[in-house]
Amino acid sequence: MTHARQWIGPILALVLWEGFAHLFASAFVLAAPSAILLYLYENAGLLTRALGVTLANAAAGFLIGNAAAILLAGLAIALPRSENIVRALALVVFCLPLVATGPVLRILFGPGAGPQITLAALAVYYTTLIPLLVGLRAVPSDWLDLVRSYGRGRMTALLRVRAMASFPYLVAGLQIAAPAAFLGAMVGEFTGAERGMGVLTIRAMRDLNIEMTWALATVATAVAVLAYLAIGYAARRVLTEEPPVILAAPAAKRRNLFSSIAMVTFSTAAILALWWVGLDALNLSSFFAKRPDDLVDALFLAPDATQTRAALAAALSETLIFLFPGYLAGLLAGATLAMAIILAPSLANTAMPLAIALRSVPIITTAPLVVLLLGRGAVGTVTLIAIMVFFPTFIACLHGLRQAPGRATDVMRSYAASDMAILRHVRVPAMLPAFFAAARINVPASILAVTVVEWLATGNGLGALMALSASLSDYDMLWSAVVLTTLLAVLGYGLVGALERRVLQTYAPEQLA
Amino acid sequence: MSVEIICKGLAKTYTGGVEAVRPLDLTLVAGQTTALVGPSGCGKSTLLRMIAGLEDASSGTLTIGGAPAADTLARAGLAVAFQDPSLLPWRTVRQNIELALDLARKPRKAADIDQLIHLVGLDGFADTRPGALSGGMRQRAAIARALSTNPDLLLLDEPFGAVDELTRAQLAADLPGIWEARGTTTLLVTHSVTEAVTLSDRIIVLSPRPAAIVADIKVDLSRPRPSNLKALPAFQTHVDATFAALSHGVADTLPKAAQ
Ligand SMILES: Nc1ncnc2c1ncn2[C@@H]1O[C@H](COP(=O)(O)OP(=O)(O)O)[C@@H](O)[C@H]1O
Ligand SMILES: [Mg+2]
Repeated sequence: MTHARQWIGPILALVLWEGFAHLFASAFVLAAPSAILLYLYENAGLLTRALGVTLANAAAGFLIGNAAAILLAGLAIALPRSENIVRALALVVFCLPLVATGPVLRILFGPGAGPQITLAALAVYYTTLIPLLVGLRAVPSDWLDLVRSYGRGRMTALLRVRAMASFPYLVAGLQIAAPAAFLGAMVGEFTGAERGMGVLTIRAMRDLNIEMTWALATVATAVAVLAYLAIGYAARRVLTEEPPVILAAPAAKRRNLFSSIAMVTFSTAAILALWWVGLDALNLSSFFAKRPDDLVDALFLAPDATQTRAALAAALSETLIFLFPGYLAGLLAGATLAMAIILAPSLANTAMPLAIALRSVPIITTAPLVVLLLGRGAVGTVTLIAIMVFFPTFIACLHGLRQAPGRATDVMRSYAASDMAILRHVRVPAMLPAFFAAARINVPASILAVTVVEWLATGNGLGALMALSASLSDYDMLWSAVVLTTLLAVLGYGLVGALERRVLQTYAPEQLA
Repeated sequence: MSVEIICKGLAKTYTGGVEAVRPLDLTLVAGQTTALVGPSGCGKSTLLRMIAGLEDASSGTLTIGGAPAADTLARAGLAVAFQDPSLLPWRTVRQNIELALDLARKPRKAADIDQLIHLVGLDGFADTRPGALSGGMRQRAAIARALSTNPDLLLLDEPFGAVDELTRAQLAADLPGIWEARGTTTLLVTHSVTEAVTLSDRIIVLSPRPAAIVADIKVDLSRPRPSNLKALPAFQTHVDATFAALSHGVADTLPKAAQ
């Protein structure tokens, strides 16, 4: 009975969707499910070939990126001194805008699958590295003492205890990584590949082919959700517990001002050095490969430096105007819906799996749809950013709210406290760490969203500037925009982290180690 | 092999200023079982962890088998049963024991493992994961794991806390036989006075935190302990003396153990 009832909602939605599509057929935005199915059926061969290509690239990137994440995490644990620098470098690389790295990689690799695979790897390694680091650290100290009591060292502890203990966290990371790899591969295909889902998406958008756009989005969504479920299923056969929901490492311990400054200086120096040495080592033409000193030159010394700076500032402000409202709306909507749902627990049981599945939908495929539905203006852009931010926030908050200590809830109940009171005094404080973890990781995610939309749809802001300067071979501008976008993401991440520490100190001090 | 453990002026103040253990002198006689009794939070686990080499002492020296602890610990053949059973949840009882053998670089002998599992009353649970065991069963698995490597030095931190009375009595009857046969030097942390009297050759009573030795009571009861132990007047005398020491009286009705 309950089983049958689960299907009523989705079926009703499909019927409504079909109805609306026919009602607004002249508006050219909505394809009916029947039309999508028909398109899929008629073009099965084309789609299967494209899907095969993209899947192969995504899989290669998935393997490479995750292998890199596992190696880096192992390094950070084996050499604890290296952890801070590993984290900082990983964050900066994660914050590099795909919109610009795509074209740059295309130039580096030339034709072929290189950029697709690299972007897929770049899209996954951070979301695996961070949960893995948390998992490797979150080992009860008794287990490590056990190893030490038999006279064995860090390496044995890493291999025999930490590695296994972090496995659920690795799975949580891999589940997020699978759709991310698909997304990365598709972005790579946008930069001039011959075959693949990304190529078809570009074609569908250019031709304003509604059925094709929706069909591609459907296929990509199905792939993402299936990959998510498959990894979960495989993991459950091995694991004794559910994979944890982890979006970002807990806020770093508070350092004093001096060591914070030292850390930031050191990381910046390391990144600049890597950038410099890396370009020299690759022996790239200086027309294309700009070093830090080239950018200083272009931004401050060159005759057109003022114009360059003005163009960057204009693009930045165009981006920020959409970024802030979208980011905040996504956070607010995610947290509010999670709180609403916790008051109706039966709803939570259905909403959670659905939200987890929808989180895996690649933004690349929803972007064209949202643009079709809401237009290329402010509403469409802000909505897309909000959607990107919404799902991780919602899932994290719901998870945090549910984790509210059962005893505290029971105590409140014994005083006949209302559900609202319990929510306010027990659950919301328990939710805050998860909320902030989501808020932090969503800074780069929302910047990715806004730049992708600017590039694909609106033609404004940093995303469009990067795409344009790449196609005009204006590499001074491209590299400057990349640095600016990356800085924006890293600074935003740091700011949210600082806010997080202040709030947690007041409302949930036990969450700060 | 029997090892002697000598603590000289051993003390611990945690970073943050909590003084857990006052400088204390204590010699664990080779092959004996010493019980460490004291109110909870007084520093028993801290002392045990310092002896295990898991916690650095703030001051004082520790000698194991005649050499400074740092050099000898691994070779001394140490095993610890922690207050929390700390079994690895992804391993079965048997696999947890096998891990200890691997870590101690000792061969895995299936028959020996089965015998230990039988001894702690876990027949039929060898291939069960800790998640499906009760708290008491987990503690028994942890005891089996600690015994599996045939340690020269066995440190037990409240190993029976969650074990039910009946099983506890059974273990108390069976376990000493094992470590006595091998001449294992055993330190048993407990807050059960009757357990201390039943299992040990000597009882060290600690003061409330910071731990200092308030009494050192020799347990003058024959080994193996008779089955009617608890009915003997001597048993009650020891229990009373330990209680008296715990409540800060000094036990002078009983002979002092040799330092
Ligand atoms: N890692 C630690 N850091 C700071 N204080 C600690 C630590 N471990 C224990 N303590 C404190 O030291 C005292 C003794 O603890 P412990 O040795 O565990 O007591 P017992 O085992 O006798 O119950 C307690 O007050 C405890 O809070
Ligand atoms: Mg203790």
